[in-house]
Amino acid sequence: MRITSSLVTRRTFLNTLFGGWLLAFFSGSLYSLIKFAFPTIDKEPDFVVLFARDFLPIAPNSVKSFAWGGKVGLFLKKTNGAIFALKGVCTHMECNITYKPEEKKFYCACHKGWFDDNGKNIEGPPPKPLEFFDIIISNENLIIVKKGVNIDPAKI
Amino acid sequence: MRMKAAWQNWLEERYNIDEFKTFAASKLVPSHRYEIWYFTGGIVLFLFIMQFITGAALALYYIPHTEYAHKSIIEIVTKLHAGWFFRSLHYWGAQLAIAVLFIHVFSALLLKSYRKPRELIWISGCKLLGISIFFGLSGYFLLWDERAFAAVRVATGGAGDLPLIGGFIKTFLRGGIDVTGETLTRFYAFHVSILPLVTIFLIVMHLFLVHYHGMGLPRSEENRKHGETPFFPNIFYKDLMIWLVVLGIVVTMATLLPPEIGKQADPLAPAPENIKPEWYFLFLFQTLKLFPGTMLGFNGETIAIILVSFGVLFFFLIPFFDRKSSRGEKSPLFTGIGLAYMVYFIVMTIIGFFS
Repeated sequence: MRITSSLVTRRTFLNTLFGGWLLAFFSGSLYSLIKFAFPTIDKEPDFVVLFARDFLPIAPNSVKSFAWGGKVGLFLKKTNGAIFALKGVCTHMECNITYKPEEKKFYCACHKGWFDDNGKNIEGPPPKPLEFFDIIISNENLIIVKKGVNIDPAKI
Repeated sequence: MRMKAAWQNWLEERYNIDEFKTFAASKLVPSHRYEIWYFTGGIVLFLFIMQFITGAALALYYIPHTEYAHKSIIEIVTKLHAGWFFRSLHYWGAQLAIAVLFIHVFSALLLKSYRKPRELIWISGCKLLGISIFFGLSGYFLLWDERAFAAVRVATGGAGDLPLIGGFIKTFLRGGIDVTGETLTRFYAFHVSILPLVTIFLIVMHLFLVHYHGMGLPRSEENRKHGETPFFPNIFYKDLMIWLVVLGIVVTMATLLPPEIGKQADPLAPAPENIKPEWYFLFLFQTLKLFPGTMLGFNGETIAIILVSFGVLFFFLIPFFDRKSSRGEKSPLFTGIGLAYMVYFIVMTIIGFFS
């Protein structure tokens, strides 16, 4: 059967074809470019393994830093000898905090934020307490574990 | 003389030189008591050209890698011929460019040069201001010292507080979840390639539009009689004279006050005591300090960032809010708003500087 008339002219057909092709080409290119430019996201570690002998003997009322992924972790020994591990990053704007032994507080120099030695935000702009980790001591290893993550020390 | 005539002939056979001459002669600039503010744009242009030259020179030796970045800058200032001078020029050129850019923007704001039909000049100028600040941030991050590290963490983290898109922007800028070597190469790419290209495009557009519309007249001068000065050579020579003075200032600053290089960044070290951002971030820094951790049950910093974003967005779109000026009427409300922006910026910067 021969079609005598059509809703689509030859020009509209070709314009749609070329336009569609250009759109597909540019959106495909743009997509892969953005995908390339956007980093593959690594996540924070669930746990890190350290040598117990490097950390356990530190003096009371002092801290020692360790790498928690790309951030700083702090190993804290209080005056009474109790040990803790926490993320050494201010909850306000992510600056690295420092421990002030004379006041038994953590201090962030960027916007003058203070935390007590339990990590509670007590002064300045920080909105949340510091993040504490669990500590597992297994043989020679000191394993710092994110709260809520279960690991089997025997397998490490 | 024969050489010159031959050269002129060669050109004239191929191009319509007279057309250029008539064009140059037809470019006039109104003269009135506010004309001094016209020159601030030219100063910024001159400083940008200087930044391109000194920046290109420094890029020959700088190494964008966490191990070598800090060392390579120390090598530039200690071992290369006049290396300290070019780095110092680049630093002071940037400081002055941003300072004059702020003056340029505030003068346009208070003289209401943004009003119809020049809205797009204002928009392209605001984009250039934003880009210049990003130039500054990415530039001092390349030092890879302690202050730069903390500053970029705060700035990118602050962007992360924006609702919905914040996380995306933060990860994109950092090249990951943390500020690392990935961030350094990214900021290097921004600083030496992406931002310069966008800047050239925007400057060309800005200048084209300024030429297209002609210099804006303040409303109060519109009905007054005033003369017009030809751009070539009168204004052009004035521009050159001012540029020479600016060059003198930059060179003097660069020679007498070369910028410091802090301790190499260490992601595990605490932020240094009394850390402060560059002066053009102080008003933001001071604003952030004003907000408590939580406000009415919401995160204080998120509220601060949202408010600041709205302030910036409003500033950007002022030509479209100020309807009275666009109709050619007096607009005291927007004079007040402009003054408020300026006073807030200046006062917060001063408080930030001395606190």
